[in-house]
Amino acid sequence: MIQFEHATRTYGSKVAVSDLSLTIPSGELFALLGPNGAGKTTTIKMLVGLLRPSGGVIRVCGHDLLTETRSAHLHLGYVPDEPYLYDKLTGHEFLRFIADMYRIPRELSQEYIKREINRFELHEFANELAENYSLGMRQRLVFAAAFLHDPDVLVLDEPMVGLDPRSVRIVKDLLKEKTADGMTVFMSTHTLAMAEEMADRMGIMVQGDLKFLGTVPELREHVDVKTRSLEDLYLEITSSSTGRQKASSDDT
Amino acid sequence: MQNQLLDIPQENQLSRKLRRTIAWNVVTSIVRQSRFRFGLVLVLSLIFWAAVFCLFYDAFNFIDSMHAEVMSLLFNTFFSALMVMMAFSTGILMYGGLYRSEESSFLLTCPLRAEAIHAHKFTEALWFSSWGFILLGSPMLIAYGIVRDAPWSFFIMLIPFIVTFVVIPASIGSILCMLVVAGLPRLRLHALSISLAIAATGILWVSWATFGAVQSQLLTAAWFEETLSRLAMTEQVFLPSWWLSSGLLDAALRGESRDLTRQSTLEALKFLGLILANALLLSLVASWVARWTYRKGYSNLQAEVPIRRHRRLFWLDELLARAGSRVGNPIRLLLVKDLQIFRRDITQWSQFVIFFGLLGLYFYNLRSFNYTHVYASLIGHLNLAVVGLILSTFTTRFVFPSISLEGRRFWILGLLPIHRDQIVWSKFLFSFVGGLVPCLGLILLSDCMLGLPWGTVFVHLTCCLALCGGLSGIAVGMGASMPNFRESSPAKIAAGFGGTLSLVLSAMFIILIVITVGFTNHFNLFQQTVGQLSGTTTSWLPGISGGQVVSILIVIPGGLLATFLPLVLGIRAFRQLEP
Repeated sequence: MIQFEHATRTYGSKVAVSDLSLTIPSGELFALLGPNGAGKTTTIKMLVGLLRPSGGVIRVCGHDLLTETRSAHLHLGYVPDEPYLYDKLTGHEFLRFIADMYRIPRELSQEYIKREINRFELHEFANELAENYSLGMRQRLVFAAAFLHDPDVLVLDEPMVGLDPRSVRIVKDLLKEKTADGMTVFMSTHTLAMAEEMADRMGIMVQGDLKFLGTVPELREHVDVKTRSLEDLYLEITSSSTGRQKASSDDT
Repeated sequence: MQNQLLDIPQENQLSRKLRRTIAWNVVTSIVRQSRFRFGLVLVLSLIFWAAVFCLFYDAFNFIDSMHAEVMSLLFNTFFSALMVMMAFSTGILMYGGLYRSEESSFLLTCPLRAEAIHAHKFTEALWFSSWGFILLGSPMLIAYGIVRDAPWSFFIMLIPFIVTFVVIPASIGSILCMLVVAGLPRLRLHALSISLAIAATGILWVSWATFGAVQSQLLTAAWFEETLSRLAMTEQVFLPSWWLSSGLLDAALRGESRDLTRQSTLEALKFLGLILANALLLSLVASWVARWTYRKGYSNLQAEVPIRRHRRLFWLDELLARAGSRVGNPIRLLLVKDLQIFRRDITQWSQFVIFFGLLGLYFYNLRSFNYTHVYASLIGHLNLAVVGLILSTFTTRFVFPSISLEGRRFWILGLLPIHRDQIVWSKFLFSFVGGLVPCLGLILLSDCMLGLPWGTVFVHLTCCLALCGGLSGIAVGMGASMPNFRESSPAKIAAGFGGTLSLVLSAMFIILIVITVGFTNHFNLFQQTVGQLSGTTTSWLPGISGGQVVSILIVIPGGLLATFLPLVLGIRAFRQLEP
């Protein structure tokens, strides 16, 4: 479970995330959408502990990220938009490192590593140094590392970038399976089709404010148009919010 | 599954295992893929180590009679300077490692303590900032031990002394880095600049106070005594450098009896204990500071609003872009592009300024000494070699990778209406002109400070021209022949086979030019030496003027060959390349 309680983050005088209050229960896949500069990355960085909120509280499985950082991280898996790997470790060695970090017992870690290698089809390159991996290989390995310790909460930032259609399908199926088992998934994406297909709920963030929170049918109700596509609805919300902001700043 | 947090020993074990695995993989991949470079680096390192050892061995033998006071002063000065440098270098490395690296971003999202992440990066920074000390200090200390006929315990204690000592300035640097970032995130650059300015001012003041205000005539016994007495400021009992030098001097003492030797060894162990205790204390303090400030400091830095600079066209760029068509328009525009990138890349021009600035400082101070004409000529000649060698490190490090670095942007260049030759020529011109201006200035400064005649100055300037052309030609030509478009790090490109080969060829070219010109310009000296050795007078070699003419006749064609041969080969290879 993820809880944002009046979470705020400012960069100097600019408010990147404004008074965000949101609860994502177990078993839900939540998609956060928004234009560039909306505050999605800031929200994710606060959620994984890279940024401290200027105000408010963020909890992961009941652990405050500010005061119980390590305990919160124990429940988290994170797949960033630009995955980091140690160039001079093989895929297998990297997974071994992750397993040791989460204190997975030796007798179990080999089994889990094998499971993830099979799941993400890493056999061909698991014993090569990561410096020789393509973007897709790196992304698959990072996914494997994120799932290795069976996290309760999974945070994904543009997760499908660099993945081929087969890998995308593997990830989608896995996310559906894991959410059915009770995992909470928080996903930031620009791909509206994926959000529509996968998300139980979605949020649309514009200039630090959560302008909409709900399902696609609720979004249609919100914009009061039943026949448009998600893309049209999204553009309606984001452009009208931006336009109102621009109009008010022009007035001043 | 219920995951568990690691305890402190387990975190340390994890970090050690990670470093061990990475180190092993690095060594095996170097041995597998870069045997030539690895072998070359190993051989050159061993030669360097041996040369430093011999130098110090001779020096310590020479001053052995004045041993007690001189050695203490020399060691204290060396180690105190090292301490300051290590504190700064570790601080800078820790800033990059803790706050700007992708690895730290990754580790901060893992269930690790902030202190554990700090310890992991600190160990890495310690290795990077102390390897120079180890490479330079080990031959010095071993030579000292041999000259002083030190007991075997001295050689055993060297490693713990060095290892524990380096932790002290490194910890200080790390603590200051974290405090500045946590307390003054917006002013960290100002804090660093002010600290460096204070340190530089202090060093300059100390140098002037030590060398500049000396009253006695240069290089006399009185001058040495006076200078050394001014270095006594480094002998402060509260400084770790004093503990280190005192400990080493005691460890090297071989008393008249076994008991006296044992007593000296125990004294040395006392200092070792003192250094160890302080190193452990400072490590602990650094760990505490990391616990309380690292995550907060990292978050504050992430939240920094970048200063948006509205970059207008710089007047020089505009001038070059509009300059007459002596240089073709595409080449001219490529030069402007490379100049803009160079100016905005602080890594490049700061190293350039530091190295050439230090050389300039050294050359400027040459006027302080009195030389015989032959001695001055030899020094001027060696200075030419130094300038060439410094330039070759820059051409290898920055010019050689320049074509490879176009790799990711090659699709832009490939679509433009320019020939590939023009890309190569633009790189050559950029390197040649960029290197020629400072090198000619430095050589002119050196020869003027040495008071060399204009004939010799003209020869040196011609050599400089040949060196700049040749080194640029070799670096650009080889970079075009062996590009690496997949790699984005210039350091990795330069460290590959092509970069290493370019460095070796550059060094050979410099040595060839320097030896040739050295021989032809010092015929008289050669004649005298041969005459003394053989007991006869030789008069078959021409005089100084003849030597200078011969130099020019050799250097100009040699320089042209070194410049254009690799360029032509490089252009041919580059034309056929499919990136």
